[in-house]
Order: sequence, then C-alpha cells, then structure tokens
Amino acid sequence: MTDALLHVRGLTVGFPAAHGPNEVVKSLDFDLERGGALGIVGESGSGKSMTSLAIMGLLPKGAKRTGSVTFDGTELTALPERAMRSYRGDRIAMIFQDPLSSLNPYYTVGTQIMEAYRSHRTGVTRRQARNVAIAAMERVHISDAAKRVDHYPHQFSGGMRQRVMIAMTLSMEPELIIADEPTTALDVTVQAQILDLLAEIRADTGAGLILITHDLAVVSEVTDHIVVMRDGDLVEQGPAERIFTDPQEPYTRMLLDAVPRIDDEIGLLRTMHTEEGR
Amino acid sequence: MTVREAVPRQAGPPETAPLLRVRNLVKEFTVSGGGLLGRPGRFRAVDDVSLEVRKGETLALVGESGSGKSTTARLIARLIDATSGTIEFDGREVHALTGKALHAFRSDVQMVFQDPYSSLNPKHTVERIVTAPLAYQRRPIPGGARAFAAALLERVGLNPDHATRYPAQFSGGQAQRIGIARALAVAPKLIIADEAVSALDVSVQAQVINLLRRLQDEEGFSYLFIAHDLAVVRQIATRVAVMNGGRIVEAGDRDAVFGSPQDAYTRKLLAAVPRIRPEWDAARKRNEQARREREEAEL
Repeated sequence: MTDALLHVRGLTVGFPAAHGPNEVVKSLDFDLERGGALGIVGESGSGKSMTSLAIMGLLPKGAKRTGSVTFDGTELTALPERAMRSYRGDRIAMIFQDPLSSLNPYYTVGTQIMEAYRSHRTGVTRRQARNVAIAAMERVHISDAAKRVDHYPHQFSGGMRQRVMIAMTLSMEPELIIADEPTTALDVTVQAQILDLLAEIRADTGAGLILITHDLAVVSEVTDHIVVMRDGDLVEQGPAERIFTDPQEPYTRMLLDAVPRIDDEIGLLRTMHTEEGR
Repeated sequence: MTVREAVPRQAGPPETAPLLRVRNLVKEFTVSGGGLLGRPGRFRAVDDVSLEVRKGETLALVGESGSGKSTTARLIARLIDATSGTIEFDGREVHALTGKALHAFRSDVQMVFQDPYSSLNPKHTVERIVTAPLAYQRRPIPGGARAFAAALLERVGLNPDHATRYPAQFSGGQAQRIGIARALAVAPKLIIADEAVSALDVSVQAQVINLLRRLQDEEGFSYLFIAHDLAVVRQIATRVAVMNGGRIVEAGDRDAVFGSPQDAYTRKLLAAVPRIRPEWDAARKRNEQARREREEAEL
C-alpha cells in the first residue's frame, strides 16, 4: 500500500429492494494522497454523494455499506459509531451544498463553531473556544470577525455562510476535507472566491480535499486526480490532465463534449447518440 | 458610468421594427419596515431597463441572483405590472392591451420555466398539458387533440405514443421538452425561457440547448433567454444584456460582449466562470482525431 491518506477498496452501498439489493455505489476503488485533491464527478443519480456519505459513515437508515475505507491506516468501516465520532468532523470534515440548512438559525455562528470545537476537544474553556472561532473566521477572510462571531446565520449572505461553514471545519484542523457541491448554490463570482479559499487552505494546512461536483470545469481547476461516476459505477479515473486530454471511456468523452465552453467555437453541442427524449 | 442600452444600433431603415421594445422599465417593491424607524421602504428591482428583441433572434439577459433579470422577464410577460416605463410588443403597448388583444398577447408570448415538474400539472396527461394553451384560447385543436399532441411531442424529440402519460413518468430533460412543446402549441412569436436549462444535467442540457436552437431555426420565433450561466448563453445568444443591481450594465452582440467586455462588472463575471483549460481541450481533439484514425486503420 502506498502512503495514501485515504484508501478505498470495493466500496459498495446497497439498499434493500424487492428483487435483491439495489446498489447505488458499486465496488469503488480509489486513493487520495496526503495533501492531494480528488474530484468525484457525475450527473444526478451517479452515486457521488452516497460515496462521500459512505466514507463518513453517514448513510441513511437501511443502507448497507460493504468494502474497505482506510484513513491514515485505520479501517473506518470496522469502527464502532463512538470511535467514528472522533474522526468525523474532527480529522475528516465535511462541507455541504446548502450552508443555511447546515446552520441552526437560533444560535449565533460563533456559538455553533464553539460548540462543534468543544464537542471534539475536552477541557477547552468557552473563552478559548471563542478565540478559536474568531481566528477561524479571520482565516476564511470574514472581516470584523470579533464582531461577526455574535451574528446569526441570516445576517450573512450565501457566500459568507459557506465561509462560516468552512471556518467551522477549519477550527478542527482536519486532515481531510470532503466538500459536496460546496459552490453549486452560489453565484459565479462568489463561487470563484470560495474555490480560491479552498485552494488557499489546502496550501496552508496541507489538508487533503475530496471535491464532489457535477461541474467538470470546477474539478478541472481545483483537483489533480479525477474519478468519473455514472449509475453507481466508477467509469474512469486518473490524473486530471489525462482525463481531460485523453479520456478513455465513451461516457467521459460524451460528458466533456456536452459541457458548454465559454471560449470555444459555437456549434451543435455533441451528445450521446442515444436520444434522451425517447 | 455610461449605461449602454440593450438596443441595437439601427443598421438599415426602420422597417425592421423590433418584435419587443422595452423603454425605461422600472419596478419598485415595497419593503415593510426596512427603513429607519420601521418605515416601509421602496426597493427598485428593475431600474431603468431598455432593451429590444428582434424577430428570430435570441437576446440573453444574464446576471447573478438579485440582478432583476427574472423580474424583467415577468414584467415583459405581463405577469406583474411595471411601476413605470413602456413595453411594446409587435407595435402595441402591452400595458394597454385588453380583451381580445390581451388574449392574443398571452398566446404570442410563451414562457418556459426552470423547474419542469412544478410548471406541469401532475394530474394531467401530457396530451392535456400541451393542448391547454389552445383550450385556454378557446381555439379549435387542428386535427384533434390526440394527433395534435403526438405531432408536438415528435417535434420536441419525445415519443408521440407517450401523450397519455403523466409528468412524473418522465425524466427531468423529458419534462422540460414537454414544457417546450406546450409553449409551441400556440405558435408563439416570443418564448421567454427563464433559466430553462439550469436544473438539467450537463448531457441533457446539451440536448435541450440543441433542441431550442433547432426549433428557432425551423419556426423563426425569438427567445428572451434569462440565465446565470455564461457558457450556456455563449452557445445560444445572438445578443447579450448583462444585468447587475436592477440595471443593464452592458449590452451588445454576443461576440463583442464575450470578446471585449467594456463594463467592469461584465469583466468580473466573465473572469469568474470556471474553465476547462483550452490547451487541454485542444490536446483532447488531437487525441480523438488520432483515435479515430487508428480505429479506421484497424477496420
């Protein structure tokens, strides 16, 4: 085994169904190097989000996970829930698409960052936790953090709320950040700022990143290794440059053809020969 | 800042009057308790917007959330009333239309929305959905509902035998095609597409964009294409108007706006669009060419 931070083998997620288990993630193999950035791309129903939930042990009720997920040498699938909690949100952090639904509207953002921090760090005083929260907010470039720490989620814009979520994960100094469509709900100018921020954090902290998205242009800018998924299958994986310059699978080639380019010639967008309408 | 209007410079004689002409359009909303001492304030969602859409062209209205682009579309469709300004459609002031003329306007201007499922009645068959605009117009259905619906479905690339099915039985891309078929039923002159391809997967989105272009080529109607995705707009627009804070900050021919944007906000917007490296795309095309040649040699 290489010195991978995350080592995934035969990862499968199935739901019980009338005619045997319905598998939404089928026997995935991939690795993430320390400090590396992996992109998992796919269209809706590809199983990309289920894959991240399976790594985190956050699958919905009834889902059955098999296969192996090794993080820093520890087999996560063998851990009891209690032990898993010391990884989740601490050494492995997760950022979701909708920051508003991940934040509690009744508490200030500072309280929420402090709560998250203190739940993972014993013997931390409120004052210490508050300082950690302010420092984390400063690191994601929220100006006037000492004052904004006492504001409620609704007092922040969508992009700022996503910064708060990133600050919350950063306060734990995670070794791996899993971001599931973190910029999909954001305007394009705000998306660019958040992607820059994620790149900056990677450079500063050396944390690994798994970016899950439907947007091929976004993964091409952010990640160095890419996994392409479709209907629960891993279609193709490889270094970003290889995937974008020499895709081997017809599905990957079709996806790359279908992406509208902002600086390409105008013509009929190439699509699969099978007409989707029928 | 000089605001360049989304009005093309008259190249020839004015006999080619635009299909749609919007002048100094303003829409204000009352915001309760927004101001000091809880007094109701006025929020200007659309601020002095002027634009034109010519026959057979696509004007893309682009902007981020809160830019006023969707409100502008709703004003033009007369779904809401303007605070001030004029909207002329086919030479007539839209605000003044009543009775038969308003009825005709409601048929000439059709809308396609972002979420196909929520804009299609789940309890109606596709046949009933796509013939609804005619029923609303109390117009006879040429050739009968069954044949008419089947022909419409065929035109948008759906199986004509599926006219008896319900919206939930279709995928997102197929449902959006049903919404397009419904718009086509009354042979509109203008289709307002409000984020019509935004919710679709990229492979399906490409197909629907191709469909929208083909239908325009065949029918010659115009699109007012409301979108936030500049790469999509680049593929479909004849001209582009960029909105920010309720105002049009820049407008012009597509290649001019994308190629040499004049306004600072337009430049910021274009710079923020994530891009696949052009050199990677070029390498991919070379590799694909080589692959095709290899495959042909093996045959």
